[in-house]
Amino acid sequence: MNSMTGTVAWRAVWAALLWPCLLTAAMPLDCTEEQGSLYRCPSISQEKLLDRVIQHAELIYRVSEESCAMFEEMFVPFPLRLQRNQAGYSCITKALPIPSSKSEIQHISDKWLLHSVLMLVQSWIEPLVYLQTTLDRYENAPDMLLNKTKWVSDKLISLEQGVVVLIRKMLDEGMLTTTYNEHGLFQYDALPDMLESVMRDYTLISCFKKDAHKMEVFLKLLKCRQSDNYNCA
Amino acid sequence: MKKPSEAVLLLLLLFFTPHAKGTRFSPPGKPALTRCRSPEKETFTCWWEPGPDGGLTTTYALYYRKENSEAVYECPDYHTAGENSCFFNKNDTSIWVNYNITVVATNTLGSTFSDPVDIDVVYIVKPNPPEKLTVTVMEDKGWPFLRVSWEPPHKADTRSGWITLIYELRVKLEGEDDWEMHLAGQQKTFNIFSLRSGGTYHVQVRCKPDHGFWSEWSSTSYIKVPDYFHREKSAWILIMVFTAFIFLILTWLLHMNSHSLKHCILPPVPGPKIRGFDEKLLKNGKSEDIFSALVVSGFPPTMSSNCEDLLVEYLEVYVPDEHELMLEEGKDLHDHCLKSEGSTSDNDSGRGSCDSHTLLMDKCGEAKEQGRQTEQEERPVETQRHQKEWNEDTLPYAHEDTVSPDMSSGRVKTWPSVFCPLPQYSSSPPNHTSSLEIAKQHCLSDSLFPPGSTSSYLTHPGHSTKETLGPSRWEFSLSNKQPRSLHPQMQTRQQLQARSDINLSNVGCEQAPVGLLPPTARPTEYVEVQRVNEEDMVLLKPVASGRGCGDGCPRLRQAEDYSKVKGVNSDHTLLLQREVMGEEAERCPCQDQETNGETDSCITSSTVTTTQKPPACNYTAAAVQDKMAPTVSGYVDTASIFTLPTY
Repeated sequence: MNSMTGTVAWRAVWAALLWPCLLTAAMPLDCTEEQGSLYRCPSISQEKLLDRVIQHAELIYRVSEESCAMFEEMFVPFPLRLQRNQAGYSCITKALPIPSSKSEIQHISDKWLLHSVLMLVQSWIEPLVYLQTTLDRYENAPDMLLNKTKWVSDKLISLEQGVVVLIRKMLDEGMLTTTYNEHGLFQYDALPDMLESVMRDYTLISCFKKDAHKMEVFLKLLKCRQSDNYNCA
Repeated sequence: MKKPSEAVLLLLLLFFTPHAKGTRFSPPGKPALTRCRSPEKETFTCWWEPGPDGGLTTTYALYYRKENSEAVYECPDYHTAGENSCFFNKNDTSIWVNYNITVVATNTLGSTFSDPVDIDVVYIVKPNPPEKLTVTVMEDKGWPFLRVSWEPPHKADTRSGWITLIYELRVKLEGEDDWEMHLAGQQKTFNIFSLRSGGTYHVQVRCKPDHGFWSEWSSTSYIKVPDYFHREKSAWILIMVFTAFIFLILTWLLHMNSHSLKHCILPPVPGPKIRGFDEKLLKNGKSEDIFSALVVSGFPPTMSSNCEDLLVEYLEVYVPDEHELMLEEGKDLHDHCLKSEGSTSDNDSGRGSCDSHTLLMDKCGEAKEQGRQTEQEERPVETQRHQKEWNEDTLPYAHEDTVSPDMSSGRVKTWPSVFCPLPQYSSSPPNHTSSLEIAKQHCLSDSLFPPGSTSSYLTHPGHSTKETLGPSRWEFSLSNKQPRSLHPQMQTRQQLQARSDINLSNVGCEQAPVGLLPPTARPTEYVEVQRVNEEDMVLLKPVASGRGCGDGCPRLRQAEDYSKVKGVNSDHTLLLQREVMGEEAERCPCQDQETNGETDSCITSSTVTTTQKPPACNYTAAAVQDKMAPTVSGYVDTASIFTLPTY
């Protein structure tokens, strides 16, 4: 009994002396989702991150779709509603080196997928801000539309952050602070004609909707590749 | 052992030296981060608990590090969320990275670091409670229910799907302590049923994201349920009252009829009791008295005539051909008789009732009714004509008819068959096809000519033969009525038979009376059955010289018309007694039979298809064998007569 108590006492003493060390050393290696516990993994796992990014992209796409429909219904005359890409108004991101066909997508690497997504996201941040301002100028733009567009722009920024983190995690690359298309893609032309202005805005929204869908698809493809590399389309 | 203790002492000294110095001041105690919460997954707040300040003013600072980044940032906002808190706004909140947060307490003497905490914003979401909780009382087919509705907290962005919330509400009655929990899922309305009328309910609701914490309960909403009458209960009350009422009535009825019910359910067990037997006498020890009481006068018949009657005497008459044939057929007849008996339904169940006079009476009465009419009509005329006819064909039929009153009904009565199957009676006409007829024939022959039917009957008492003559007439008269329907088949045979029988019977009659009749032998008298009166008596009218009187005759000698059927002797002859003032008509059994036959015929005459008269005579005779009515006395129980027609 004496020996037992003796060893215990020694251990307690050392623990008390060395408590600062415990702080740094005792880091749980495996992340468990314990709700209510303040001690979490030091970093979010890659899978979780990817899931969140995908969810983010899904939401953005859904809201953008709603905004586009709302805008089209309110401001765009029926005959002019775009069903397909029209030559008159092309998307601003057309010039980006983004895979557009299915075959291209299948052959692209994960790295390029991620970078494509990042490119898209970064290229749309500014136009969305612009869109917000233009919509404010509309006379009878519903609040919901404005809220949606604002929401989208905010979330897009967040998405960018997420993709960056994801790239860093997945590709072990450093933080990319520079954007691909800081300038040049978008011009703030003030068009005199209202209709023209409307059409431009309409084009903007619909193009963004498509790109948001692209982002979502890329990310989902990436996730699919993570789990099953042979069955992804 | 010593080492640890020394180390402990050292440590203690180290820790307590500051205190030993005498100053109360010390570096601040270690703060601890109590919790961090995000209400909408876009911002979050962290709170900490300050440790002992050590007596000096202590400042707290929160530092955080983002995941995989060494840059340390300080909390941007210490005030928004209150004391000892740090608020991270939207720009500083990222769902992509973890936060490593540490709180540092600093005072002049030193600083103390808290334990670091890793935060994943997504997992620390605790939304605000749902808002705009409304409760209303609604009705569903008379039953009220509560409809609870609410809205998500305004900060939580559920519309876009950024956060998905599930809701839970709880209800309790005012004054109770237990809450009733209901999980509502993602819907924002909920219905609560099974309410207590007139009660006040408290309702609260809270929400939770997919990964996160339950929000606080919303503010209580009160609702009072209006009073409503329990329709179900009222129905049950009605049913109970009604049942009780019926129960009362039943009880009363039972009470009223308790006695009769007792009899029905528990019938009194008849104790053994002998009529006329007095137990007390037994006790007294006087056996003579006892047994004398038991003696029934008249039973057993002690008279010599009775004894004689009991003897079955058959008059054997040898008749070639026919008799033999009859013999053969008789057996068939026997069977037929049996069959017919079985086939027809008789209230009286046949045989047993023969023995009882009363039953016979009842039956005969019925037949009598019928017989009377016919009887009166034809009697006089028949006798003459029918003699011939009888010889030819009617006889058997007639007898048959008379014998079987139910011929009228078209059925073969069982009565005749009962008596038919006497083995001796084989005297059935050979031509009989129908069982009835055969039976009739058989019976007829038997009844009519007890002796003459077969050789076995040779010893038939003379009375039977005597009867043949008589009955022949009777039969004629009777047969008149039915004959049309009868089958003419048997005619020839019957004729032969009849004649032979007659002859035989005549012969037998002569002889029989000797044996059967009482000492006083009297010449046979032909009696016609006049009618059957109400008392079930066959009124017989004597006929002079064997010839029917004709129409006028029936009324002859009224005084002598009353005859009583005394009984049926073993020869299956109905013994009649003619009540005549001062005159005793001694009837051959034949006569009896005649009467029987007549009555039967009377009865059956009305019907076309009567067939079994003579058998009736026989039957009755057979049944009443034991009741040999002494011909001497001439009293014949009418009951026995009536047995015939009854079937």
